[in-house]
Parts: sequence; structure tokens; C-alpha cells
Amino acid sequence: MKITTTGVAGTMESSDIIITIEPKDTDGISLELESDVKTQYGNQIRNVILDTLKDIGVESAYVTAVDKGALDCTVIARTQAAAYRAAECKHYIEG
Amino acid sequence: MSFSTSEIRNIDGCRLAETCRFLEKMGLKYEGGAEVTVNLYDDDENIVGTGSLCGNILKYIAVDDSLQGEGGAASIVSRLVSIAYMSGRRRLFLFTKAQNEFLFRSLGFFTLASTDEVVYMENSRNGLSSYLDSLEKGTGIQGAVVANCNPFTLGHRYLMETAAAQVDTLHVFIVSEDASDFSFRDRFEMVRRGTRDIMNLILHESGDYIISHSTFPTYFIKSTQDAASINAELDLTLFGKRIAPALGITKRFVGSEPYCVVTNAYNEMMKKLLPTYGIEVIELPRKDGISASMVRKAIREHDDALLKSLLPTTSLEYIKERGIEL
Repeated sequence: MKITTTGVAGTMESSDIIITIEPKDTDGISLELESDVKTQYGNQIRNVILDTLKDIGVESAYVTAVDKGALDCTVIARTQAAAYRAAECKHYIEG
Repeated sequence: MSFSTSEIRNIDGCRLAETCRFLEKMGLKYEGGAEVTVNLYDDDENIVGTGSLCGNILKYIAVDDSLQGEGGAASIVSRLVSIAYMSGRRRLFLFTKAQNEFLFRSLGFFTLASTDEVVYMENSRNGLSSYLDSLEKGTGIQGAVVANCNPFTLGHRYLMETAAAQVDTLHVFIVSEDASDFSFRDRFEMVRRGTRDIMNLILHESGDYIISHSTFPTYFIKSTQDAASINAELDLTLFGKRIAPALGITKRFVGSEPYCVVTNAYNEMMKKLLPTYGIEVIELPRKDGISASMVRKAIREHDDALLKSLLPTTSLEYIKERGIEL
């Protein structure tokens, strides 16, 4: 899935996460994470985001995430939604 | 406590009046410019929180004490950020009091510069560094001029020419904000044409990292006199701490300011602050007392003889070619 524009999903409200995905010229995912629970769960959140992107075939993107204590399922859903929007993709790909 | 959110475009009428009253209660003063406002209301339709988007700046964010810690600010800011993204504004900024820095940091904003009174924040960790990376670099002893050039006069020409002769590379930052009589494009083009022969001069757009008084909000500052000096201190801190070291700038040139009290105060602040960052400030006397406001007056009055004595031919030609009227 090719990222062509800026896609955003989620909110900064409690138990949610806001994910922004932007195009990147070079390969690889550059991920910037801000979280109140970064020390405890930062790695876990990062892995969930990166795995979700890998599953739907995003290979290059700038990703910014501001987490407010989201559960993994929320992180996955927000990441997918942001990626679909950033790829201007209308068809859901089974991950 | 539960609250409902409402999104208002170009707020006016009684909604604006109630928002102003609420801001006043919170010690803030509405000074216009809200494009989209997000308000929070309690069950009785009383306003308990507000925030607005003005260009790419988040402003007038306030939440009632009864709602503190309930995620009121988070819901206002996320709504405003989503609105901004949807309209293609990806890079967002805000000015806030030092005591709120922590709150906005938890909402995805990063500090660009701070003074005792105010903090300037951006919604990206590397917005400034990627701006700085994108700038053309110089070599040797490097100096800088920051100017609006509204329009580019013989005075600016003299300042830049004299400054360029004293350094190996002169970086000239033109204020990108469109709040002047001449558009940014026109100002930039006039400077480009008027300095083409100065080989060691590099021209830059200031982006959002030179904080002009038209960008700087004063709604949370008690007196307007304080606002000017707080603005100056914030801008110079950002320049001295982040911009200058990234480019290797060790000299800043400025024209003396005999007319405008505010600009003169800014220059004085510059002489005081920048040396603490290892930057020498060199004030050059203003050439023949030329000021851009004098030029704008001459353009309005079609005083061509006077204009010839104030503008380089490149600016004269550009204004004629574009048919610019003020």
C-alpha cells in the first residue's frame, strides 16, 4: 500500500490514540511516539503499529502517534484507518 | 461531568459573545481571527471550554476549572487538530503560558523556544530541524539579516551589501507571513532581484520560525507593552538557541531604528540577548533615513521622483511590471 497523502485517525481523548501517516521518499517506517505510558508500554505500542503497517503492506511512511492509553485493538484500528486514508484506499484489505 | 462538543466556523453573533465572556472569565481576551472554534457545553448549555484554529495556530484554548482533568483540553485540541489536517494544514503551532507546557506536551506538541512568560510549540518533534536541514548552507564566517522588506528599498540593499562584505556567507531571512502590504511572493522576488549580484548572499524563507508581531498572539498577556518585549525575547531565543547554531551564524546585522519605538526596543533586546548565545550584533546606521513606510506612502501618492530616490531600479521595475497598487 503506497502512502500518497496525509492520513489521520483517532483522538487525543483518554483511552484513544491519534495516528498520523505521511508520505516518505525513502524506504522504511519512521515512527514518532508520544505516550503518557511510554516508559511502560512504549515498545509494545510501537510494535503493534509497525506490525499493523507491515500486515497491510505499508513499507514507507512517516508515522506520528500520540497515545492516551489506548488498548492494542484501538491502536490497530486507528493505524489501519490512518493508513487507508493516507493511501486514499477505498477497499479494505484483509490483514 | 459530561459535556458536548460543538464545532463553529467563523464564529459570530451571540456564540462569539458567549465565547468572549467565557475567555474573559478565564483571563484571556479574544482578538479576532478564529476560523474554526470548538466549544464544550455542559448539560445546561453553559460553555465550559473553548479553542480555535487561526491559520496554522491554535489559539484561545481554555477549559473551566470544573472540567480540569476530565479531558476537556484533549477533546478540544484533538478536534482542532483533525479539522486542521482535513484542510491540509499539517504543521500546527501554539503559544502558551509556561504552566501549560506540560499539558500540550502530552497532546503531541513539542517546545521550539520558551521564556519565563511564554512557550512556543509545534506539533512535530522535528519540524524545525527539517526546516533547518532544508536550508542552503554557507561557509566560513557567517552572518544573518532578518527582514520583512515591504518593499525592498535602497536601505535594505545597503544593509545587506554592507553586511555581506563583512562575512563569508550572509543568510537573509525574509518573513514569510503574509501580513504586509506586499505579499510574501512579491517581497521575496524583489529581494532576489535586488541582491542577485551579491554572490555570498543566501536567501531564505523564514517559515514559522521567525516570530513576527503579526503572528504573535497577545491574548494571554496582560499589557500590550509587555507583549512586544515578550515577543522579541521569544523570537531571539529561538534564533539564538536553535537557528543560528544550526547554520553556524555568529553575527547578526540590523539597521538602526530611529522611527519606530517597538523595533528599536527589539534591537535593544537583540543586543542584550544574542551575545549570550555567542552571536555578535552589528547595528548599521540606516542609509539616508530610508524606511519602507515612507516608500509605501510615496507609492500611494504616486510620487515617482521620491520613489526613485528610495528604491533600487529592480524594485521599481518589479512594482511597475506587476502593476502593484497599495
